[in-house]
Amino acid sequence: MSIAKPLLDYAKSLKPRKGFAQSFSAFKRLLQYHRRYPWHVAAIVVLAVIRSILFSLEPLYTSYIIIYVIGPPTNTSLLMGYLLVIVLAGIGYAITNFILTYMHGVMSQYIVRDVRSEYYRSLRTKSFSFYDSVGVGDLTSRATVDLRLVDMFLRTWLGTVLNAVFTTIIIIAIILPISPTMTLISMATMPLIFYFTTRLWINTMPLFRNMQLIMGRLTSYIQQNIIGMKTVRIFRREKDVVDGFIEVEDVYVNTAITAGKMQSIYMPLGPALLTLGAALVYVYAGITLGVPYSALAVEQIGYLILFVRYMMRLTFPIRDVSQTLGMWIAAYAGLERVQEMIDAPRSVEDMPNARDVRIEKGQLELENVTFGYVKDRPVLNKVTFTVQPGEKIAILGATGSGKSSLIYLIPRFYDIQAGRIRIDGTDIREFKLASLRRQIGVVLQDVFLFSGTMRENIAFGKPDVSMDEIVQAAKSARIHDFIESLPSGYDTPVGERGVTLSGGQKQRITIARALVGNPRMLIMDDSLSFVDAKTEKEIQAAIDEATKARTTLIIAQRFSTIKTAKKILVLENGSVAEFGTHEELMARDGAYKKVYETQFVQKASPILREAGGS
Amino acid sequence: MLIRRVYEYAQANKRNLQIGVAATIAGAFTGLAAPYMHAIAIDSIITPKNLSGFIWWIPLFAAIILGNYLFQYIQTYQIRIVGEKVVAKMRDDMMEKLQVISLRYFSEGEAGRIISRPTNDANTVRIFIRVGLTSILVDISSILGTFAIMFYLDLRLSLLAISVLPVAIVLVWYLGKYSRAAYRRTLITTSGLTARLQEDLAGIKVTQAYAQEKETEKKFLKSQEENVKATIRAILIGSSYTPFVMALRLTGTMIILFFGVNALLASLPTITLGILVAFIEYQFSYFMPLVDLVTMYDQYQSAMSAIERMFDVIDTKVEVVDAPRERSIQLQ
Repeated sequence: MSIAKPLLDYAKSLKPRKGFAQSFSAFKRLLQYHRRYPWHVAAIVVLAVIRSILFSLEPLYTSYIIIYVIGPPTNTSLLMGYLLVIVLAGIGYAITNFILTYMHGVMSQYIVRDVRSEYYRSLRTKSFSFYDSVGVGDLTSRATVDLRLVDMFLRTWLGTVLNAVFTTIIIIAIILPISPTMTLISMATMPLIFYFTTRLWINTMPLFRNMQLIMGRLTSYIQQNIIGMKTVRIFRREKDVVDGFIEVEDVYVNTAITAGKMQSIYMPLGPALLTLGAALVYVYAGITLGVPYSALAVEQIGYLILFVRYMMRLTFPIRDVSQTLGMWIAAYAGLERVQEMIDAPRSVEDMPNARDVRIEKGQLELENVTFGYVKDRPVLNKVTFTVQPGEKIAILGATGSGKSSLIYLIPRFYDIQAGRIRIDGTDIREFKLASLRRQIGVVLQDVFLFSGTMRENIAFGKPDVSMDEIVQAAKSARIHDFIESLPSGYDTPVGERGVTLSGGQKQRITIARALVGNPRMLIMDDSLSFVDAKTEKEIQAAIDEATKARTTLIIAQRFSTIKTAKKILVLENGSVAEFGTHEELMARDGAYKKVYETQFVQKASPILREAGGS
Repeated sequence: MLIRRVYEYAQANKRNLQIGVAATIAGAFTGLAAPYMHAIAIDSIITPKNLSGFIWWIPLFAAIILGNYLFQYIQTYQIRIVGEKVVAKMRDDMMEKLQVISLRYFSEGEAGRIISRPTNDANTVRIFIRVGLTSILVDISSILGTFAIMFYLDLRLSLLAISVLPVAIVLVWYLGKYSRAAYRRTLITTSGLTARLQEDLAGIKVTQAYAQEKETEKKFLKSQEENVKATIRAILIGSSYTPFVMALRLTGTMIILFFGVNALLASLPTITLGILVAFIEYQFSYFMPLVDLVTMYDQYQSAMSAIERMFDVIDTKVEVVDAPRERSIQLQ
């Protein structure tokens, strides 16, 4: 099966459907964000009215010049006055337009900031399960690429819509008293224009939405491919990756071209209709014209020119509204992708009665703990065991046996579905999340360091901790000597712009990070396999030192870890198969003994790594 | 040259491109014919009340408008096809190349930069071909066409109409320099914000494990605020174009009106009421494209650098054996 098959199926399953209700509710939601900036909105409305009035003055006064200056009767003394009005109106228009554009831009930036902050805050509270299922690249692009589409729309939309409305109203208000019949003729095409603009919206919106959705998936496809390039190469799936990509891209291109076709049919239609309407105005004016070259005829011609020029001027707001609709379609798809994440449920939250609880001893009890990522498919089933303060428990189990899930339940990275977890007798759900997590040192499966210095990384959990404590933690993690050997010591930056660290060094820094603040409890997902003997020895030393006198749950990767553990817990299909000391389990002649004899004794065969990794 | 290489990609859709460009130019010219048709209607049909003229004027006018509509339709559609296909092809080539180039390009820190090429960069180019390329073609043909018509109609009024042009060009260019600097600053803060987000999200499990959400949020908000400030500044400079340009345009209109009206009253043979009005409209129709062209410069530049980055991937040499880390080439 092709790698891109699910993506292709997804792209093909997107039907061009009508999405008005959704689009409308998304728009209402976007409007809500405007409520925080009432003064900006008010200023934009007022400025838009002024701008439309000033915009309409130049054609009006040009016609006045034709009627009253050129005449007959000719009256050149009026010319300078009219010209002055035209220039002043123009300058006024320019200034109003400038302030309006600026205010609009500022408002758009504030709103985008608000949406992005809300998005960011919502992400902070999502559980590990959420991050297991969504890619970082995808989440980032929603906050950048997708929000940029929203930004583009927000920068002009209100001004554009108001401009079209006010300009039309003001122009009608000026021309209606001059000639109701000609007003009717010149505006005859307006309903048609309105109709076609709506058609454009109805037909293209679902297509653009689909394009955006496909593009979002394609982007994460590319990201996965690039991040997982090594795996792709190992399994020789290169051709498959590319072929699948091209197939999905084809669907995208075809949708884009169909949408483009509709846009190109409807977009230029409005201005064309309006211009065609001018012909009718000419014919009517020609028929009703008075004696040629008379004062009446000149007046009629002056106003005819006014009507026609207004009609030509109206094509701009109409074109702008069409474009704004296009921007909204793109913005809507982007906004939808952002809101989808904001609205995604957060599964781990503070309980109403949560409080700060101090972990004094570090006794841990699990009682009939049941947990699964998907409902009715438990990963852990009725797990019960107790860890006494200061004990180190090594957890063994095959891939998928639920080892990582089990230890991640303790700091509530996931919430259990049934049963109870207690620390020092207090249910962990009675802790405030921050209070619970700050008192448990965690070494996660994937080794992640932030850009920043060694010191910042080690002190990550307690930024205001003293240097002594940082050094102490680093010493326990067996990384102090290495850091000291660096030119800038603890102030050496990590990552892209700093030193390149080996996997083992990185892991020891993450151990040091877990030890800062001297937590009573420690959970470690020690997954670093495929390291050389020296590194392994260093990491082992770090782990041994770190776990001294702390309640520790550690996913065992090495025999040495198991050797120094107080007890061993063997997980099988989400249940505790065996739990006890090495001697007890050996005496039981069960799963542990088998693993021990076949693998540990023969010293670290690949199968052990399979058994230890997850 | 970059454009040449992009053009090579368009070879598969050569016909679409040719039709599209031809339609764009034809569309711009038919658009320009409208004010001239108005002048004819006023001068030769309405003013002398010679209504039989409508017999040929109405069909011609309608033909021009319909032709204009048709050309715009063809232009938008064909250019869209070319844009989508070219970018898709470039992206396919990039993906193919990515599968065979040395794995060291995918090391930590580099991956983010590589990812943005087939995604963000490709999107920039797509939008540029769709909007920018068409605008540039339309603007240039509009400006040249307007000049041709104006000079054909009346030499003196034309010279008056373009008298403000040098001032406008200097001013717009000068402001453009500031605008480009501000724009670049926005781009820098945007990539800073993106990098920040990427790191925050990549490390979110660690952040949550240590309950440091508030601390990281502070850093994020700071980085976002920088971006907001830079963008607002760019908007301020960008929108300051219009008052100057509008003022200049109206100065032009005023000059045309002043001299035009006086010429009309002195009964100069070439200047009629219709032509005077047409000039005011033409003044409008060459000024706007001009401003458009200058603002397009930024888009053009960012599209060019995006294209460059995409070719960078496409042109990467394939090595069979990984070179040692120290010798790894830095991609930007």
